[in-house]
Amino acid sequence: MLQEKLQAIVLSSSDYGESDRIATLFTLEHGRIKGFARGARNSRKRFGPALETFARINLQLLRKDGLSSLKQADVITLYSGIRGELSSIAHALYACELVESITPEGHPVPRLYRLLTTYLERLDSGAGNPEDRRMFEINLLNILGYRPLLEKCSRCGADFGERGALIQSGGELACRICAATGFPMPIQALRELRSCLSTGRFGLVRFTADGILPVGRLLDDVIVSHTGRKLKSLDFLRQTSQM
Amino acid sequence: MLTKSSSLMRLVGELKKLPGIGERTALRLAFHLLKSPQNLTALSESLCEVRDRVHPCSTCFAITETDPCSICSGNRDSSVICVIENSQDLMALERSNAYNGMYHVLEGAISPLSGIGPADLRIGELLSRVTEGQLKEVVIATNFTVEGEATALYLTKALKSTGVKVSRLAHGIPLGSDIEFVDAATVQWALQGRNEL
Ligand SMILES: [Zn+2]
Ligand SMILES: [Zn+2]
Repeated sequence: MLQEKLQAIVLSSSDYGESDRIATLFTLEHGRIKGFARGARNSRKRFGPALETFARINLQLLRKDGLSSLKQADVITLYSGIRGELSSIAHALYACELVESITPEGHPVPRLYRLLTTYLERLDSGAGNPEDRRMFEINLLNILGYRPLLEKCSRCGADFGERGALIQSGGELACRICAATGFPMPIQALRELRSCLSTGRFGLVRFTADGILPVGRLLDDVIVSHTGRKLKSLDFLRQTSQM
Repeated sequence: MLTKSSSLMRLVGELKKLPGIGERTALRLAFHLLKSPQNLTALSESLCEVRDRVHPCSTCFAITETDPCSICSGNRDSSVICVIENSQDLMALERSNAYNGMYHVLEGAISPLSGIGPADLRIGELLSRVTEGQLKEVVIATNFTVEGEATALYLTKALKSTGVKVSRLAHGIPLGSDIEFVDAATVQWALQGRNEL
């Protein structure tokens, strides 16, 4: 068996037994994998704080189906800016849980790795906010092929134009002729959501005040339809945004 | 022959629930205890005693056999409260002999990925203690993990309106260590928190 060197972001980790740790990692090379770090809590030399959630690390491991064996990890960054700002921690943990819950195991998604890294860097340099979160989510859904149709009605294929768009359950958009009820989605907000897909940089797209709410509703619906459950970190995200 | 429901296998089952103990170790421990009836009696009596006598202090939530605990009822500086995650941390701070104030045990840390939020910890009780008492300072001594940091930042915000001074334990290079071998993140923290001499 060959020892591999990988780049990874720690999505979550937990203590196992007296001295070991199990970590879920999002690697550039193999996507999401689970790793067992024997003696990680005693050996500061081999792991240090490298298995802290959302740390970006260089990793040496023996890859196995199910549970890989972690040999050594070196911190590239722990994102001290995120760790010093409550809203950034809350958003970073949410981003990690989302990637862990929605990505296939052992399947490389390098574009998503870069998106997550860019988002963590953004959170490291300033407070977390709903606009950046939605920018991250729509790009994540797009990369994974889960993006809802934003250009036209998902049922009849007509441009929304004058017809207007309504959010349907499961995170679909339908025009007012095809659907009788649903939360209204402003056409301007759809335009803003589409422009999120054409830029790789955070902070360039601004949502109108009445757009961010329906955009959030749509993305939350799409995400739940793929993860199958409400993410645990959402409660803390909501609590901290009210402080 | 032992059946699954035999009392010995029940004991093995209970031992296996302890952290770091697997099937094989549990079996070894169980057979070791069996060898000496005195050991078994002493252990079972001690377990019952702990169950009946040990409980969290109603003021600071540290593990104690008296209520309030010896620290809450002792002759200590009541103008400062040190906030910690659990009673083991209290023991570590007491060993340092560097602190003479009160404590408040949160009984955990905020852990959003495990679904543990502020309401699951003793944060409400801390806020009552701060608003009711004549307090000068709250020292936050939660762990330097993501969960501990999230808890510290949350407490800082929650305590802001009370006007009490809030401080955080310093972190840096461990004593007796060679800087060459300290990980980059710790060096970074130590540089940021450097002191004037
Ligand atoms: Zn239609
Ligand atoms: Zn007490």
